[in-house]
Amino acid sequence: MRALIIRQLLTIAATVILGGFLCAIFVRVAPGFDVDMQQLDGRLSAQAVEALRAKRQSSRNIVAFYGQYMRNALHGNFGKSLVSDHSVRQLIAERLPATIQVAGGGLALAWLIAFSLAMAVAVLRSRAADMFAMSAASLFLALPAAVIGLACVFADAPPLLAIAAIVSARLFPYVRSVLTRTGNMPHVLAARARGAGELRILFMHVLPVAAQPLLAIIGISVAVALGADIPVEALCGIPGIGQLAWQAALGRDLPVIVTLTVLVTIITVTLNSACDVAAEAVRGQHA
Amino acid sequence: MKRTVLAVLACLLLLPLGLLAQVRNELRFYLHSDPRTFDPLLVTDESSDTISFLTTGRLVCVNRETQALEPELATSWKTSRDGRTITFKLRDRVFYSDGSRFDAEDVAATIKRMMDPNTHSPFADIFGAGTLTARIVSPLEVKIISSTPVAGFDRIFDQIAIVSSRSPLKEKAALGPYFIADYKPGSFIYLKRNPNYWKRDGAGKQLPYIDGIRLEIQANRDIETLRFLRGEIDLINSLDSEHYDQIAQSAPASVHDAGPSLDSEQMWFNQVANAPIPPYKRAWFRSTNFRRAIAFAINKQDLARVAFGSHAQPAVGPISPANKFWFNRNLPPAKYDVNAAMKLLQQDRFRLDGGTLRDEGGNPVEFSIITNAGNMYRERMATMIQQDLSKIGIKVNVVTLDFPSLIERITEKFNYEAALLGNINAGLDPNEQMNMWLSSGESHQWNPREKSPETAWEAEIDKLMKAQSVSTNPAQRKKYFDRVQEIVVQQEPFIYLVNRDALSAISPSVIGAHPVVLRPETFWNIEYLRLGSNARGK
Repeated sequence: MRALIIRQLLTIAATVILGGFLCAIFVRVAPGFDVDMQQLDGRLSAQAVEALRAKRQSSRNIVAFYGQYMRNALHGNFGKSLVSDHSVRQLIAERLPATIQVAGGGLALAWLIAFSLAMAVAVLRSRAADMFAMSAASLFLALPAAVIGLACVFADAPPLLAIAAIVSARLFPYVRSVLTRTGNMPHVLAARARGAGELRILFMHVLPVAAQPLLAIIGISVAVALGADIPVEALCGIPGIGQLAWQAALGRDLPVIVTLTVLVTIITVTLNSACDVAAEAVRGQHA
Repeated sequence: MKRTVLAVLACLLLLPLGLLAQVRNELRFYLHSDPRTFDPLLVTDESSDTISFLTTGRLVCVNRETQALEPELATSWKTSRDGRTITFKLRDRVFYSDGSRFDAEDVAATIKRMMDPNTHSPFADIFGAGTLTARIVSPLEVKIISSTPVAGFDRIFDQIAIVSSRSPLKEKAALGPYFIADYKPGSFIYLKRNPNYWKRDGAGKQLPYIDGIRLEIQANRDIETLRFLRGEIDLINSLDSEHYDQIAQSAPASVHDAGPSLDSEQMWFNQVANAPIPPYKRAWFRSTNFRRAIAFAINKQDLARVAFGSHAQPAVGPISPANKFWFNRNLPPAKYDVNAAMKLLQQDRFRLDGGTLRDEGGNPVEFSIITNAGNMYRERMATMIQQDLSKIGIKVNVVTLDFPSLIERITEKFNYEAALLGNINAGLDPNEQMNMWLSSGESHQWNPREKSPETAWEAEIDKLMKAQSVSTNPAQRKKYFDRVQEIVVQQEPFIYLVNRDALSAISPSVIGAHPVVLRPETFWNIEYLRLGSNARGK
């Protein structure tokens, strides 16, 4: 187990460093990186425009930028936004609560919906209920996140519902499949033959076995929620991390985009690793 | 029984009181982005400008309705004959929101900081290469001296917000009607009534009437329109024609079209000498006849009617008719004339060959127009221009790019053929457009940063712009700038397409609003706005 944890920690570190670096390269080579939108202000003199250009010059050498960025990041300094001049750390701290509320709340609700529906389908064993739930999930899977976000705007619904709809549509088919597959395992069939009730079968025989594959998708569901959070926050006008990421991408705001990428990578990779370790522990118990 | 009657009476009495308690005295509207700065000397974006307008004080102010200059923190002023010195007499007993006193020292400190090259204030750039110093004559009198004559010296001070030299709050100490009470980035800014604001109404009541302003930060115009219709916000300062029509359908009394604004939409051809475009195309773009032919072949009336739903006017030249003083009324109206276009092209030996226009070397005339993606009005205009030019055998490709990519192409790499963009004119004076008209200017979009004027007409514009910028005679300045406008219309370095109308929406609960074309269109008289009894909290 210790070896697994060390291996996972090394994987997290390597993924974060590489992910941040790749992101920095993509932003650096994106068209428009070298310019500031203020350059079009006709009132600005040549010197003022030159000062705006100079601000972007420091990030031109991406290897030097990333090395310096990582050194500073280890001390909690993520630099300053190229667009607003505010500290990146402060920007993220100010916006994190809104994202926790929207993306975190949406994710929790998505799990609740997906799990409740899958359990209902597993317990009821009704073909009609299964078809209805699968059709609803397929519909939300087919709709782009932006459309679901806009629907929330026009319905004046809380944006976390959009995240919940997006994530649960992806979660439900998987949870349902795991629960159905486990429900057909020999020990479950034997319990049913002995006359055990459906709820007892679910909680005593299905869920303990299904826990391991379900743990594996926690990390994925977080990544889906964070991915959906960007268009939802941008469209619904939520002042969170997603909106910040959207604005930073439009403004080619290198320090902000790199920090957000590193942050999201840390969250998703750590969760994935934690789930792997937990799954391993569950497997050990069963063995 | 008696108790019951008393209880009913009490309820009846308390009911209206309860309703009154719900009436809010807080104006609500949206900013479309976070302000980039709260420092009024560094303002370049619309949101920062709004905050600066609502919270700072200026020595003089351009009345947004009459466009006349009026006293504010200065009670009177006098400009010297040579246009180098202006003396302001300041208003007595004026205090910042934190209670600190305003006097000549603040004016001097503001000028000093604005002119400091390390501040990079865009307002310092209005004075060009000249330097500005302030000399305190007395606590209520200050002389501002320029190293070079400054045209329209007094009107420039409408833009310069005075910042406290002594308050520990620095630029956050407000001299304007409101001060910043709360700010949550990405979410909202709350402005509270400045208890020390100096202005009073005719009856002697201290202004402003409204206690607070809640500015929600919301980039999505659809949400803004929806919330306006739901009564959750009180005004939309600048509307596009699509949302204007949407609101007009359900609340026709709320929308206002104040006529053509100062802003224009224009296209231009890349004339940069070393731009990475084929030499024969550069030759077309540098030909006056070619540019004029394109201008004749575009139906501007249709652009205004179709692309903007008739909420725009065909542009005549570089200055909108909304700019009452500087607009050259002798310019010919916009003309759509395909035959005139063909004649001009024939003069340059272009010929129609089976529906395709070819140049002297036999090259088919084809170019691309770049514009910013997501701006449906520009996309519509580009498509209509494509259709118009196909009638004279020109093939146009429309390319939409995200804004940073577009800026990079037109300011740094010059790898484009034609561009379609807008020009936002916040101020009235041509001095604010110096960088656009001088051939050495960064904003001289068709050919920026020329070492020396590459054409005779650009040399003439340089001469005229420099002459008007130092003349202290308004009539002479007008004459110079009228000639600049004539040259621009004759040479078409920018093909001006339309002037968009100044559209806004104001809830009937806002009393005293008179939307105008100058910014800020709806709340320029913020001190005098009131909220009626139908403005309820939510």
